[in-house]
Amino acid sequence: MYGDLLAALPNVVSIENFLAIVIGVLAGIAVGAMPGLSATMAISVLVPFTFGLDPLVALGLMAGIYNGAMYGGAIPAVLLRIPGTPAAVATSFDGYPMAQQGRGGYALQVAVVSSAFGGIASALALMLLAPPLAKVTLLFGPAEVFWIAVFGLCSIIFLLGESPIKGLISACFGIFVSMIGADPITSEERFTFGYLELFDGISIVILLVGLYAMPPVIDLLETPLETKGAGKALHTESIFKAFPRMFGYWKTWIRSSLIGIWIGILPGAGGSMAAFMSYNEARRSSNNPEQWGEGEPEGVAASETANNADTASALIPALTLGIPGTAVAAVMLGGLLVHGLQPGPMLFRDNADVVFGFMWQFLFGAILLIFLGGSLATNSFANLLKLPRPILGSIIIVLMFIGVYSINERMFDVYLMLIFGMIGYVMDKFKFPLPPVVLGLILGGFAEENLRLTLLIGRGDWMALFNNTTSLVLVALTIAVIVGPMIKRRLVKQRKP
Amino acid sequence: MFNYKKKAALMSALLLTSGAALADYPEKPITLIVGFSAGGGTDVMARNVAPFIEKYLGDGASIVVKNMPGASGQIGITEVAHSDPDGYTLGTYNLPGMMARTLDRDAKYDAESFTYLANVVSDPNVIVTSKRSGITTAQQFIEQAQEAPRSITVGMSSLGGDDHLGLTKFQNITDTEYTIIPFKGSSAARTAILGGHVSAGVLNISEVAAFKDELNVIGVAKAERSEYAPNVPTFAEQGVDFTNGALRGFVAPAGLPEDIQAKLLDAFDKATKDPELLAKMKATANPVEVTLGEDFEQLNNELHDLANQVWQTTPWK
Repeated sequence: MYGDLLAALPNVVSIENFLAIVIGVLAGIAVGAMPGLSATMAISVLVPFTFGLDPLVALGLMAGIYNGAMYGGAIPAVLLRIPGTPAAVATSFDGYPMAQQGRGGYALQVAVVSSAFGGIASALALMLLAPPLAKVTLLFGPAEVFWIAVFGLCSIIFLLGESPIKGLISACFGIFVSMIGADPITSEERFTFGYLELFDGISIVILLVGLYAMPPVIDLLETPLETKGAGKALHTESIFKAFPRMFGYWKTWIRSSLIGIWIGILPGAGGSMAAFMSYNEARRSSNNPEQWGEGEPEGVAASETANNADTASALIPALTLGIPGTAVAAVMLGGLLVHGLQPGPMLFRDNADVVFGFMWQFLFGAILLIFLGGSLATNSFANLLKLPRPILGSIIIVLMFIGVYSINERMFDVYLMLIFGMIGYVMDKFKFPLPPVVLGLILGGFAEENLRLTLLIGRGDWMALFNNTTSLVLVALTIAVIVGPMIKRRLVKQRKP
Repeated sequence: MFNYKKKAALMSALLLTSGAALADYPEKPITLIVGFSAGGGTDVMARNVAPFIEKYLGDGASIVVKNMPGASGQIGITEVAHSDPDGYTLGTYNLPGMMARTLDRDAKYDAESFTYLANVVSDPNVIVTSKRSGITTAQQFIEQAQEAPRSITVGMSSLGGDDHLGLTKFQNITDTEYTIIPFKGSSAARTAILGGHVSAGVLNISEVAAFKDELNVIGVAKAERSEYAPNVPTFAEQGVDFTNGALRGFVAPAGLPEDIQAKLLDAFDKATKDPELLAKMKATANPVEVTLGEDFEQLNNELHDLANQVWQTTPWK
């Protein structure tokens, strides 16, 4: 099998292929950096155009876009507190405070190096471990996936902010939004008020753009007379000088890569959950957790490593089993199908050259990210912040409209985004934390669907949730996450007096 | 691309002002509405077929594919139903889904809303079981369910789709009862079967062709064996008269002028015999089985009746 891997390399090393990856990475960064435009969208727009291309060139473009976009999302997250993609929400926690302190350039450099590290780790996992990891995916039926969702929901605890009550209200709002649309089992319409556009539920991108981009934009426009630049200068130095300082994050890089790869091979959750989880884990094991959220570069590293580490690994179940781990992987499956590549176990036997070539392209895409992302971030985007605030705000509003409209090409989504924008503005003013809303939306629906499937399979018996080892391990982990910090705090208190 | 569209629009405007007769159809780009996102099975079929329709309509005909995803195709097909029947709006059409939606939802169209052009793809249902279940033939599958009704869990992509209606049909024919587990999409269902989380599943042959070694495919719901799995016996061979599947084709709004309809039917007929298109369809796992015009309409009515019968006896919501 590793013979096939090496045999595929010569095909990949061609000018067209490299050009495709470079263009893909650059396009991905640009798309990711614009609020509302996501990798999923970029690739689904691209797929119809790849009909006439050589399969490897088409796949190279996709691999590049995927890698680029996962980093690109960090740029506005750091500079403006507007995550460019759902997966960059956790990046803004520490990235934005860093930019405020004038360390935005370093934050972006940490982001790009971490993204590349995560991407490389993920590509290696895909190349070397795809078949065995696919077997792990199969262990996860509805019951196990339900517990994964519960585990993820528990991590909301760490995102509650200063007031737990407000945080919980935010989380409940997110879970409520997850219920809008067709019931996952019977397709009964819930809170759709007869609008077909609501039938498939609310796209995470619409919610994210409204909730996250609108408050900062209004903030930018609220002081129109101030025509100075919006942010502090980036204060960048050469990436080669900055690089040695980052070695201290090696533990976070490795831990977050593993979390990202792990989340990637599980169907459904995707980059945002990977980023949240690895951020929490990194903070828990940090020596100075109180500084997190105040501009700790390691927080940026944790989030960005993980959201790139799920890229290639999400393709493991996609290529081997035909199940996409993330929305992007789902679109990429469509892209493969267009070229007559049927995902499944036969793919590795019948089209080894293309599949393994695709894996190499992922690896190259991740490596190229350092060079392309590094210079792009430091040079081009620094100028963005020199724009007068009202102009910057207007540009972002235009991008938001274009991005949301282009998801399904309909104005309905734009109006929906504006409604979420108003909700987000009010929540922001009253200091309701926004991250629990995002997690609630992603995981709420996920938990509901899998709980109900488990009960159907168990014919109504709740014990179906507990009758296998994987589930029990996940239950134990969940309890440990909730109870662990309480016990720790109590022990520390007892020791003190 | 954009320039081309502009040019085409300009040209058609010129043609219109010169008072071209209807017989010159098509004199402007035809919009083909696909009710699913780009890259999905229906979209791939549409994009495969479109260039060949252009070719056989001749005279520089051009078709622009427009994706209007949402509500399992309902948004797109509703748009088609309410478009002008001038031959410049066509749509992809899925059965039995489009008819089932007129029963289980408040749909703004019905069987009378369309001019039926061509059904191109017929993807027969298969019943598969997980390796762990030990069930390898239709007979075992039936006997086990007769001994202990509802003891076998059967995964599928959704309620009210071809797989659900198919299983209901199978239950009626064989006097059995299974526990239905509707997943979100067929790949999720297939994974659960691979992992042994459900014991069996109703899928389509194109979805299991690449998994023949990992699953037990116990039968194909088709009159003859499928070229996608020539080693798998049909249900008829195993003594169960069960055929069913997912159909994908093309429709136009009701009231299409007869000459335009004839021109389109002719183009679909020729296109679906083009060996180049057939090869493309095979490569993208779209089993071709063409039904044209009135025959397609009749097929639609049959499937509507089947869906209605299931809906009346065992409504799924």
